[in-house]
Amino acid sequence: MEMDLGEDLAAREGKITARAGELFAEQRRRVFVRVDRMFMGLMAGQWIFGILVAFFFSPYAWEGKERTVHPHVWIAVLLGGALSLFPMLLAWKRPGWIVTRHVIAISQMLWSALLIHLSGGRIETHFHVFGSLAFLAFYLDWPVLVTASAVVVVDHLTRGLFWPESVYGITNPESWRFLEHAFWVVFEDTFLAMACFNGVRDMRRSAQRQAEVEGLRESDELKTFALEMALAEARA
Amino acid sequence: MPDQPMSRRERGLWILLGVLWLGAVGFGGAKLWSYKTTPGAAAPGQTVWPAASRIPRDGTRPTLVMMAHPQCVCTRASIGELENLVRRVRGRMAARVVFVVPRSAARSWTESDTWRTVQNTPGVTSWIDEGGREAARFGAQTSGQVFLYAADGRLLFSGGITPLRGHLGDSAGQERIVSLLTTGRAEGSTSRVFGCALGPV
Repeated sequence: MEMDLGEDLAAREGKITARAGELFAEQRRRVFVRVDRMFMGLMAGQWIFGILVAFFFSPYAWEGKERTVHPHVWIAVLLGGALSLFPMLLAWKRPGWIVTRHVIAISQMLWSALLIHLSGGRIETHFHVFGSLAFLAFYLDWPVLVTASAVVVVDHLTRGLFWPESVYGITNPESWRFLEHAFWVVFEDTFLAMACFNGVRDMRRSAQRQAEVEGLRESDELKTFALEMALAEARA
Repeated sequence: MPDQPMSRRERGLWILLGVLWLGAVGFGGAKLWSYKTTPGAAAPGQTVWPAASRIPRDGTRPTLVMMAHPQCVCTRASIGELENLVRRVRGRMAARVVFVVPRSAARSWTESDTWRTVQNTPGVTSWIDEGGREAARFGAQTSGQVFLYAADGRLLFSGGITPLRGHLGDSAGQERIVSLLTTGRAEGSTSRVFGCALGPV
């Protein structure tokens, strides 16, 4: 009898753990899908915004009296379209897929670079980089932040190597200048990654609690059923 | 958290689309980079202040002359950096912006937002160069071209003051001018110029 009770408890625990895992996976996937959909809208919005910026701020290029459509307009339409359409397609057709969120991370950081160029290097547009990292943290998946930050690092290293003036404003920057720029990205990433870990931990706990409640409800229902059966037998 | 199942064909399609996407983004990025980093024609500048010029030269301190196309959007960045430069050198130089315009240009064409910015910039005076005669005297071909002449009329520096085309930010040209005005020395006396062509007007 004691053996049976122990086995029962172990089986119940196993069932609850398995159910908690299922609930956690379901909830995680829901978050991935929801954030993918959010980025689908953001990608479309950024594309329209980029075109408007180019159209209103740099509509024409000039050679004396002659004017032609400014390259920024073509770049906003074509490069902006390329940057947005593939991630949007992935978010539409394959929401929740690991590839979708990493492609979105790459595209989002490239959007920062494009908007910085379209706005003529305005310092305010650089805030897009940090805002984007914060948005990407909504996935609660720290590797996405690593992918996004890697895009920033590769961009800085490449430009620092071939055209240092475009990053640092001088032709022979000191080696620590790269570290100064990297520091601010790592600073934000550290706290966002902590928020991701905490978010996932809370999600796991919530799934565990829900599985336990479901388990208790199931055992209560079984008890009620057994009592009703016993009462029915006694009446008979 | 299993992903939706995917056939080999579908996976292959996504890989193909991914490769095409990377190619398109790489191509577009290269085009943008090429546009931003291709300088305009640089003028070596007259080694002494052109005698025929009607632009007033300050005889007590160096004079900086910037040639500008009023409609060129890239020149907004040059003007922005000129404001920054004037603030940094605090009265060590006189600054003039020469707007190069066609003879028949309408007033609205000349008095663009760039022109208005210059009117509101302390320490900078503007000049309208109808027909581009002053630009020809100085040998300037690109909007944003800057010349710095010493008080005695010798050319000290010739180049641009933005890091890329139409892009705000510190640049080698600006650092060289600041260094010349504060220490009398600089790493070089030229830099790349980014902007629209001034002519034909």
